[in-house]
Amino acid sequence: MHEASLVRSLLNQVTDLARQHGGGSVTEIRVEIGPLAGVEPLLVRSAFEQLVCGTELDDATLVIDEVPLVARCETCGEFAVDGFRFRCPGCDASRVTVVRGDEFRIASFTFAETAENPI
Amino acid sequence: MTPVVAPVVTSQTVAVNRDVQSAARAAAARLRAEWASRGILAVNLISSPGAGKTSLLEATACHFAGKRKIAILVGDLATDRDAQRLAPLAPTVQLTTGGACHLELPLIQRGLDQLGTLDCEFLFIENVGNLVCPASHDLGEHVRVILLSTTEGDDKPAKYPKAFRTSQILVVSKTDLLPYVPFSVEAAIADAHSIQPDLDCVAVCSRSGDGIAEWCELLDWHRAALNSPKPA
Ligand SMILES: Nc1nc2c(ncn2[C@@H]2O[C@H](COP(=O)(O)OP(=O)(O)O)[C@@H](O)[C@H]2O)c(=O)[nH]1
Ligand SMILES: [Mg+2]
Ligand SMILES: [Zn+2]
Repeated sequence: MHEASLVRSLLNQVTDLARQHGGGSVTEIRVEIGPLAGVEPLLVRSAFEQLVCGTELDDATLVIDEVPLVARCETCGEFAVDGFRFRCPGCDASRVTVVRGDEFRIASFTFAETAENPI
Repeated sequence: MTPVVAPVVTSQTVAVNRDVQSAARAAAARLRAEWASRGILAVNLISSPGAGKTSLLEATACHFAGKRKIAILVGDLATDRDAQRLAPLAPTVQLTTGGACHLELPLIQRGLDQLGTLDCEFLFIENVGNLVCPASHDLGEHVRVILLSTTEGDDKPAKYPKAFRTSQILVVSKTDLLPYVPFSVEAAIADAHSIQPDLDCVAVCSRSGDGIAEWCELLDWHRAALNSPKPA
């Protein structure tokens, strides 16, 4: 179970980035998790809920986009990989490159800026 | 009249688009390049607990004795038992993770500091016995080796797709037990190849030494390929 250490790293990175952007309150963190990311979305969520408590990201909600596993065949283009069988449905080639779904990615974060309205 | 001053809240979304582990991956890539420039092939061994990683390293050290220099970092949750087995054969440092189920770069770095100047052709890293988490952690290795012992069942590859997809060599271990267990080496290799067609496969018995010469040749071959550009 290594989700906790990865989520800790996620929180540190978003904290740093939010500070670089002026440090408003972060309301949402959006991540992408694919079938070959090596992390389980449910465990990521529970690690997040435990680790975020009492930090400056306490108000943030975590949005997890579960992305599909997509590979590319040099001849036929991209296809969805089914059951981890890395074979092109077009030409049966087995040498294909994974283009999506093998990562735990930080997609974006949203923060609120409170300003005095100068009427 | 005082004008009404109301606080407005605007929200801003910042695109990040990077892997959570991007910094660790970059650090691993730097280690990999440094080792390659010194002619050192780094090998990360992963498997379930007890598949025979330490036994394979013992057999490898014996085979290479007097021919190749090796160094070993060996990871476990606790105890230095594996290091005690390996230390008589090669410079070895035990890394204990204190409960963590896999090795990460800071531990490797600490082990390297303990090893001192690396004077070797092969650096072996025995990971913690686990087929899940180690698959997600790049330790700077050039070659990830996955061991599958004949007592584990030949249907394992499809159950641990990431570990097999990210490896370069599959070692089927404990072939002396084949007469006693329902395990087909061909079926295991076919299953593994459906996940990673580029896997080099070798079957060994560390007890008898069967297949060890072939495995060591494969290591030499990967080391020779270190500084030649990889085919795309
Ligand atoms: N029969 C047989 N047993 C082996 C072989 N290699 C290792 N073992 C046994 O398997 C057990 C675990 O081996 P070890 O090398 O400690 O596995 P590790 O946990 O992956 O490092 C030990 O009892 C070894 O003696 C082999 O080739 N044949
Ligand atoms: Mg061991
Ligand atoms: Zn194709």
